[in-house]
Amino acid sequence: MSEERLTRSDIAEMPGTCALPRKSGEMVFHREWERRAFAIAVSLAEQGQFEWSEFQQQLITSIAESEQGDPRNPRRGYYESWLLSLETMLRRKQLLGDRID
Amino acid sequence: MSEHDHHDAPASPYNRSDRSAEHDQALAERVAKIESLFIAKGLVNKAALDKLVDLYENDLGPMNGAKVVARAWVDPKYKQRLLSDATAAIAELGFGGLQGEHMVVVENTSQVHNIVVCTLCSCYPWPVLGLPPTWYKDAAYRSRVVVDPRSVLTEFGTTLAEDVEVRVWDSSAEVRYLVLPERPEGTQDLSEDQLVKLIDRDSMIGVKKVQIS
Repeated sequence: MSEERLTRSDIAEMPGTCALPRKSGEMVFHREWERRAFAIAVSLAEQGQFEWSEFQQQLITSIAESEQGDPRNPRRGYYESWLLSLETMLRRKQLLGDRID
Repeated sequence: MSEHDHHDAPASPYNRSDRSAEHDQALAERVAKIESLFIAKGLVNKAALDKLVDLYENDLGPMNGAKVVARAWVDPKYKQRLLSDATAAIAELGFGGLQGEHMVVVENTSQVHNIVVCTLCSCYPWPVLGLPPTWYKDAAYRSRVVVDPRSVLTEFGTTLAEDVEVRVWDSSAEVRYLVLPERPEGTQDLSEDQLVKLIDRDSMIGVKKVQIS
C-alpha cells in the first residue's frame, strides 16, 4: 500500500481535458509514435528542461484549439495535440536550436 | 469502436484514432526527428525512454481510496457526505481526474457486504484505486461473482456469517463503485494516517475485509 511510486503524480494524474487517455486506468497509446512522444516530453521535464506545468498549460491550450467549441469532435487526437505542444516548448526553450519548424 | 470501448470509456474523444495512414506516418516522422535530435545531443536515449514509458504504464496509480475510507472512519459527517454524494466528497479531499464518471460509495456493515465488479469489461475507479488487478479483468471473476459471490469471497479468504446479505454492484461507464469497508475492532487508538496504511485495494473492491496487520 505505501509502496513508493516512481512516477510523478502531477504528470500521471493530470485532471480535466488534458488527463492522460486511460481505459480503466491503463494508458492508451494507439501508435508507437504516441508512446515515444509521451516519453520524450516526460523525460525532458524530469530533466528540468522545462516545467511540467508550462507544458501542461500548452497542452490544455492545444486541446481547446482542436475542439473549437465541439469537445465531442476534436480536429485532432490527444497525442497529436501533445506533439504540437512539445514542438512549441522546444521552440520556446530553444532546446533544439532552429531545427524544429 | 467495439462495444467494449463503448462501455468502458465514456466517449472520450481523446481515445479515438481515426487518422489517415499518411497523416499518421507524418506524425511518426516528426516524433522520430525530435527523438533523434535529442539522442544526438545526448539528452535522451532509447532505452531510457522505453524504461520511462514502462514505469508510467505500470504505475499502480493513486491509492487515494484508502484516504477516503480512513477519513470516513474518523469523521462521521464526512462519511454521511461520502455516502450521499461520493463524487463531491472524494473531490473534497482533492482527488479528481475522473472523466465524467459518477462515483458511488457503498458501506459494509455487520449485516451487509458489498462487492464491486464490471461484468462487461473492466470499468474501475482509477482515481481512487489505481490500476485494476489482473483478476478483476478476468472473465471468471466477472461472471462468477454475480452468480456465486460467496464462493468467490471464500477463495479470497473471506468468510461471511450466513445472515450477512451480499450485494454485488456492476460498474459501468457512468457509475463507478467503491466499497467502504468496516473499520476493524481494536483500531480506536490509531491515527488517520495509521488507518490509511491498513486499508488495501481488495477491501475497497469488497473481496476482503480490512485486517489489522
